[in-house]
Amino acid sequence: MKITYLNLNSMKSTKFFMSAIICLALSTSFTSCSDDDDPDPVLEEEFITNLTLTFTNTADATDSVVLFSTAPDGFEDGTSTENIVGTFSAGATYSLSLEILNEQEDPADDILNDDIIPEADEHFFAYAVNGINLTMTRDASDIAGPDGSKLGVNTTWVAGAISNGNLQIRLIHEPTTVDDSDEFGSATGGSEDFNITWTGVAIL
Amino acid sequence: MKYYVLIVLLVFMCFGFAQKCDDVFLGELRDFHDNTPLNGATVFIKNLNKYVASDERGKFKIENLCKGELILVISHIGCETKRITFNIDGDMFQNIALEHHIEELNEVSIAATVERKETKTSQETIIKSETLKRYSNLSVGDALKEVPGVSSINTGSTIVKPMINGLHSSRVLIMNNGVRLQDQEWGIEHAPNIDVNIANQISVIKGSGALAYGGDAVGGVVVINPKRIIRLDTIYGRTLIGGQTNGRGYNITSTLNKNFSSGWFAEIQGSSKRNGDLKAPNYTLTNTGLDSKGVSARFGKLNFESGFEIYYSFLDNEIGILGASHIGSVFDLERAINSGQPFLVEDFSYEINAPKQEITHHLAKLNYYKRYKNFGRLKLQYDYQHNQRLEFDVRIGDRREIPAIDLTLQTHSILADVNLDSNLDRKINFGVIGRFQDNFANPDTGVRRLIPDYNKYDFGIYTTVEYVVNNRLIADAGLRYDFNRIDAKKFYRISRWDERGYDEDFSDIIIDETPTQYLTNPVFDYHNISASVGINYSINESQQMLLNYSLASRPPNVAELFSDGLHHSAARFELGDIRFDQEISNRISASYIYSTSKLNLSTEIFYNKIKDFIYLRPFDFISTARGPFPLWEYQQTDAEIFGIDLTINYKITDNWQFANKTAYIKGNDLGTDMAIIDIPPFNTTNQITYNNESWNNFSASLKSEWVFKQNDFPDFNFEVEDELNEEMILVDISSPPPAYHLLHFYSEATFILSEKTNLNISLGVNNLLDTAYRNYLNRLRFYADELGRNITLQLQLNY
Repeated sequence: MKITYLNLNSMKSTKFFMSAIICLALSTSFTSCSDDDDPDPVLEEEFITNLTLTFTNTADATDSVVLFSTAPDGFEDGTSTENIVGTFSAGATYSLSLEILNEQEDPADDILNDDIIPEADEHFFAYAVNGINLTMTRDASDIAGPDGSKLGVNTTWVAGAISNGNLQIRLIHEPTTVDDSDEFGSATGGSEDFNITWTGVAIL
Repeated sequence: MKYYVLIVLLVFMCFGFAQKCDDVFLGELRDFHDNTPLNGATVFIKNLNKYVASDERGKFKIENLCKGELILVISHIGCETKRITFNIDGDMFQNIALEHHIEELNEVSIAATVERKETKTSQETIIKSETLKRYSNLSVGDALKEVPGVSSINTGSTIVKPMINGLHSSRVLIMNNGVRLQDQEWGIEHAPNIDVNIANQISVIKGSGALAYGGDAVGGVVVINPKRIIRLDTIYGRTLIGGQTNGRGYNITSTLNKNFSSGWFAEIQGSSKRNGDLKAPNYTLTNTGLDSKGVSARFGKLNFESGFEIYYSFLDNEIGILGASHIGSVFDLERAINSGQPFLVEDFSYEINAPKQEITHHLAKLNYYKRYKNFGRLKLQYDYQHNQRLEFDVRIGDRREIPAIDLTLQTHSILADVNLDSNLDRKINFGVIGRFQDNFANPDTGVRRLIPDYNKYDFGIYTTVEYVVNNRLIADAGLRYDFNRIDAKKFYRISRWDERGYDEDFSDIIIDETPTQYLTNPVFDYHNISASVGINYSINESQQMLLNYSLASRPPNVAELFSDGLHHSAARFELGDIRFDQEISNRISASYIYSTSKLNLSTEIFYNKIKDFIYLRPFDFISTARGPFPLWEYQQTDAEIFGIDLTINYKITDNWQFANKTAYIKGNDLGTDMAIIDIPPFNTTNQITYNNESWNNFSASLKSEWVFKQNDFPDFNFEVEDELNEEMILVDISSPPPAYHLLHFYSEATFILSEKTNLNISLGVNNLLDTAYRNYLNRLRFYADELGRNITLQLQLNY
């Protein structure tokens, strides 16, 4: 009796498992059928394609120097190209306005005003020059950055004697420490969202 | 009258009984699996309280049986005792099968601890539960380093990826309770999703000799098994609680088993571990917390003749990645390397922030087996795995909470395996496996997909033969064929597509187009052949030799084919190549084992020649808005890897033991004559242990771990221009860190609390001298030192 019972039991379990396996196999093929749709392209965010630095002579609005950096595939990992339009006039004072855009969107996303400024306490713009007689100050109207610093979006630049050199702008994300005592600014830690240098900037 | 009837009836009945108690039962006992007669089995006749024994033909005879139920309890040395009931209604002849080779054949265990190797001629090492418990607060990757020749490639100290003889990731196959782990193992920073606490025994097989598991194990196979089921009416369990000073970590794991002599069993296990920021000797490693939870359950019925098991396990890991490793540019990397200090160090915290990984892994398995007389065993298995990987990067704005990588990998497998073991001297195993895999890369991340959406179909067929030539020589051989199809949907930037030259060769796979991207549908098929042949020869009682040759073919994985993007912590672009073909490994190995009661020595040598070995190397630069980034491309080359692994265990006295483990390995790129990157340096550990059974099984050991500097490395250093100052800056990403020597202490004792309960207490101190060092095989070695001193205390209650 017991043996028969056991046999029955094992037959039942065999059937049960076979059917379970078949069911699961079938459900597998259904899942495979259902996701055959083409994937959507990723809408890349925190994406920067264009950075423009516009220096405007405070005494003469028609005198300006514009530094462009563009990367159609994005600043993150696309190849970027830099261009310079105009030259500084020795002795003049310029106010700098920044524009950071994602032009893959239409209309373009304003990354500076929509993303960076609202999180000013986690960002810091640092500038540097080499070989060119430019000095700068962070304006009183500049936005507050991390640890009592000034973010570096509203700045005033003074062109000194005739010279030719390089100008760098960096955007540091979540720096550990920042120091803007020399106005240009320096930072430790964090990571650079961009680090762009224009070579051959001139004061005539 | 009434009395008369009653008397007649009684007399008749007595007469009836007396008359019918002359039946004869003839039994014939045969071995279940090979049908040989069983001589000398004891047959206990319960009704008669009498014993008989079987003769040399396996036969026995019971006379003078009454009609009705007959209960026999048959036992034989090495067999499982069998209780059978027959209904006697006249003379009877019965064939009764008993299994004489349970331990050899086996799903079920009679003895509790039997060391079972998976292979006969491969270089295989078993790590037992006594050793594994020391790693309860760590990972599988850490535990595997008990085996000489096995190291790990790490991302920090919590993401530990096993490396067998210098090979890792897709080249190391991991089996969890009979299921091949499918957890996006292609990435170096993807640690195996297994809780070390579910393992009762781990076998590490170097090379691809274990063909039943897969033909692409160019590095090796790791087989993780839970406790074998014991067929007894019993309930037992263990609970382990531990704490560690470094990272203020704590861990708890508990397992409860209920077994029945009928073969039914159930097991439930759960574990949880947590630590905050770990500490290097000189600073806190900010954001290196870990929060891991796992549960597993299984139940089923295992008998010799048939059985089934349902198994489920779930693991949820949240792993912080060293904050200082988040860099934006090559200049950040260069600053980190040259400063020698992490640039983000904060006070201790349990908090885990970006960058971090959140991974969940579900595994469900259902299997059934049936053993047929004089034939063998058939096993059917279905398993399903669901692996989700979220990687959070340091992001701004409302994307802060959105992962940068969100991949969901689902895998279904069906396996049928037949083991013909009716002749124990010539076991034949064959099987077929079908697998379907579906990867989904969530576009909501807002980051271009690193790994595309794909469907993968695998089909494999294999056979292995094990032949006992004589009592000294065992030979084995195997052959396997695998078919793989990858059907992916991937977006390529048009600029990249053209730059790779894909426009010439693959224009037919473009199925859609956006202004900047192509949507392509690559479908690739791979046919792979793998084989293995080996011998195991016992020279005499104390000496043994193993020889093995294995051929393995590994198709390129999805990362090698499709990678296309920036790898943040490495500050480099990684580019795959869809033109790749599979890599083919030819590995020869020889082992010499000498074992006496005092000395155990094992020497394993191997030579692995890999054709079309796929590896990453720097190639060019991409000038981005964050400075120039090096571009690393996956390439194929011919490579050779060879080495020697040595283990010595020497019993100095009954209480003192000495052990040594040493591994030396060398890897060459035959195409460029350079060394292969990330090859473990020469390392040797020496351990002295004192143990005394009469002091509650007390033992204490001191271990010295000496890792040399890797002098054979490819020089992939590069220079980038600091445009502002117009100077070239060298980024030294190649130089390995200096040699280091660490001391570790471990001691334990077991207290018997009652007949069935004991308490094991262990105290360990890792990195006793708080030595600051860096490990060549840690991808975050550029940013910070390894862990400092760590004191662990662990209580394990067995009941």
